[in-house]
Formats: sequence, structure tokens, C-alpha cells
Amino acid sequence: MEHTKHIWRAAFLLIAVLTFVIVGRHFLVPKSFGEAGYYRYDALFEHMDKEPRHGAPDACADCHDDIAAAKAGGKHAPVKCEVCHDVLASHVKDGEKVADMRINRSWELCAYCHQRLVGRPALVAQVDIREHLELSAGQAIPAEACVQCHDKDAIHHP
Amino acid sequence: MCERKDNKGSSRRDFLRMAAQGAGGMALVMVGGGHSLVSANAVSEGGSDRRGPMEYDPSKHRYLYVIDVDKCIGCGSCVRACERENQVPRHFFRTWIERYQVSRTGEVYVDSPNGGHDGFAPSETGADISKAFFVPKLCNHCDNTPCVQLCPVGASFVSPDGVVLVDDKRCIGCSYCVQGCPYGSRFIHPETHTASKCTLCYHRLVRGESTACVQNCPTGARQLGDSRSLGDKVAEIVATSKVHVLKPELHTEPKCFYVNSSREVR
Repeated sequence: MEHTKHIWRAAFLLIAVLTFVIVGRHFLVPKSFGEAGYYRYDALFEHMDKEPRHGAPDACADCHDDIAAAKAGGKHAPVKCEVCHDVLASHVKDGEKVADMRINRSWELCAYCHQRLVGRPALVAQVDIREHLELSAGQAIPAEACVQCHDKDAIHHP
Repeated sequence: MCERKDNKGSSRRDFLRMAAQGAGGMALVMVGGGHSLVSANAVSEGGSDRRGPMEYDPSKHRYLYVIDVDKCIGCGSCVRACERENQVPRHFFRTWIERYQVSRTGEVYVDSPNGGHDGFAPSETGADISKAFFVPKLCNHCDNTPCVQLCPVGASFVSPDGVVLVDDKRCIGCSYCVQGCPYGSRFIHPETHTASKCTLCYHRLVRGESTACVQNCPTGARQLGDSRSLGDKVAEIVATSKVHVLKPELHTEPKCFYVNSSREVR
């Protein structure tokens, strides 16, 4: 058996490579990789763990039931509170108020929906804001132009 | 300035480390790949493995998204809601609105100023516009997704309930997926330097809530459905209405369906 040495050499090399692969794989492949596909399964749960910032659709009514009731009968009923205000997470945490809710009183907020535009479907009332305010060419639109006439109640229950 | 230099240096080091890990890991996963594939099927079909904070079984859901172009008023509430829900950096978008204006002679004008985040100003095309409409866009959460196929490190994946997600701890920021997405739905986050995209508000879905964009759409132009939920109204729309997907010729099999769309929309 003059070739025994060569066979042992090959076998040793094979074992060495296999050991390297198995040990290397253990350290290089992240935990949970491949459990549910070619990705790190734990990443899915990291996505789940993120905290929502918008509240549930009726969350505001828990405290502001009067405004919610008035709004429910108005034309702005399909518009969620957080569209015009800020997210619930900036106002309430664990059921406790942490800060005042920000109120956006700019005319731009109203214009997002109510500026008359080519291609805007007639689902909402539309005006050309400059025309509506009867502004002359160079005049800028005042910052809180809309809310000067359309007050809080008129907005919540138009 | 100095700090910036440091950041850059460390991120390059991180990149190299992760690239080495990724490449090595990938080669080794390929070697021992048979095992992972077997267990993959076992978990996604059985759905018995529960981790995370809530009782949620991904195998019981299959989300789909319907956009009614006739109902979109281009207000941008969805874009702002997405930004606030997911802390999307300024001038980057996980969802955006495009305004299409088509002239009588067939020219198509498309604009999306700041993604529709700040609304739309009156049009200044000067052309004789014969039809115009707003088209909300987002990740199509394709069944046959190019971005996931392109990812060299397995950082992009399709969840068992059909949502395309990014593992930002694994992403090396190579941006192959950004280039590969035919819908332009991905971007490299300017701070984390990893790929970022619409997650279909996965953190909200698992809590039984709708996505921020759907919840804040004032006209119901955006709707979220679940084809594995019996009697789901949105799944019924897809089943019974004439729906359209973007770039059907690419066979990406999107799960976003457009109603009342037009041929100009790509």
C-alpha cells in the first residue's frame, strides 16, 4: 500500500475544509437566517415591534367625544383628525397627555384639498384661493386666510 | 467636518465588514443551503412559530392594495401621513402622488412636486389639457419581485403574508435593489445608508390596523384588503372589477391594483 499516505492526505484535507465550512458558517450566518426563506427571520419581528404613531381611527373620540360627535355629522366626517392635526403619538403616550396637539392654521392645509385644480375630481368643494380672497396680482395670501372666516366649529361641522 | 469624516470612516469599515460577512455567509449558505430551504417551507406553511409581541399569524393573511384613480384628489394626506408614521426623511418618499395631464394632441405631462407632500399648485403646462388625474404610487409588493432577487445578502425579502421588507441590519447599501425596482419605490436612507421602502405599515398590520396612507385618505381612493380574509370587500373589488397593474409586461405580479386608471400611467 504505497499510496496510503496520499489517501490520508486527501481525507485530512476534506475534513479540514468541512470543519472550516461548518465552523465558518456558524459564525458568519446570522441567527434565524433561512428559517423562513433566504432572509433573517428575526427581521420580520423587528418590523412588527415598531410602535405605530397614528392612533386607531376612533382613538381621538376617547377623550374628545364632543368634537367627534359634531364632526361625524359634518362634511369633514371622512377626514381623520390626524390629517389636519398631528399624529396621536405626539400628543398621548400610554393613555396620558404628553404635549398639546399641534394645530395647523395655515391656508396651505385647506388648499391641499380645496384649491381648484385641473384634474381634481369634484368630490370636494373647490375654489381658486386667490380669486376667493379677491387678491390683486402681487398680493400674497395671508398665512391664516381661511380660518379667519371658517372658524373651528365651521371646520369641524361644515 | 471632523465628525463627518469619522462617520464616513466607520461606515466604510462597517461596509467592508458586512460585505465580507455577507459574501462569506452567502457562499457558506449555498454550501449548506439544502437545510435552510427545507426548514423554510416548514415554517411558512405551518405558521406555528410565534415570536414578537402579539399573536399574529402571517400565514393567515395575504394583503392587497387597491387604488381608485377617480377618487384621488391629490391632497397629499397619504404622503404626509406616511412621512409621520415612518419618519421618512425629507424629500424621500415611500409613497407619492403623480399628476398626469394629457393634452388633446397626446402630450403627457407628469409632475410630482415634492412627491405631492405639499399639495399641487394650479397647472402651468399652457397646453390644451383634455384629461387630467392624480395617481398615488407606492411599492407594489410584487409576488415576483426583482428587488428581492437582486439582493446579494438576503436583506430584502417577502414576508409570509406577501409584504416586501428590508432587513436594515443586514443591508449593505449596495443599492442594486434601488436600481432594479421598475417602479422606483426604493431609496437609500440618507442617515442609515441602507435601502428603505414602503413596509405596508407592517407594524400596524400586525396590530390589526390599516396602513397610515389608507387610514388618512379622505376620499377612500386607497384601500387595503386581505385576500385570505373571507368576504373581504377589497379582495372582492380585485376579483370582480376591471383592475390594472403597473408595467404588467414585466410579470412582476404586483399586489397593488389600479381602478379607473388610464393607459398613460406607467
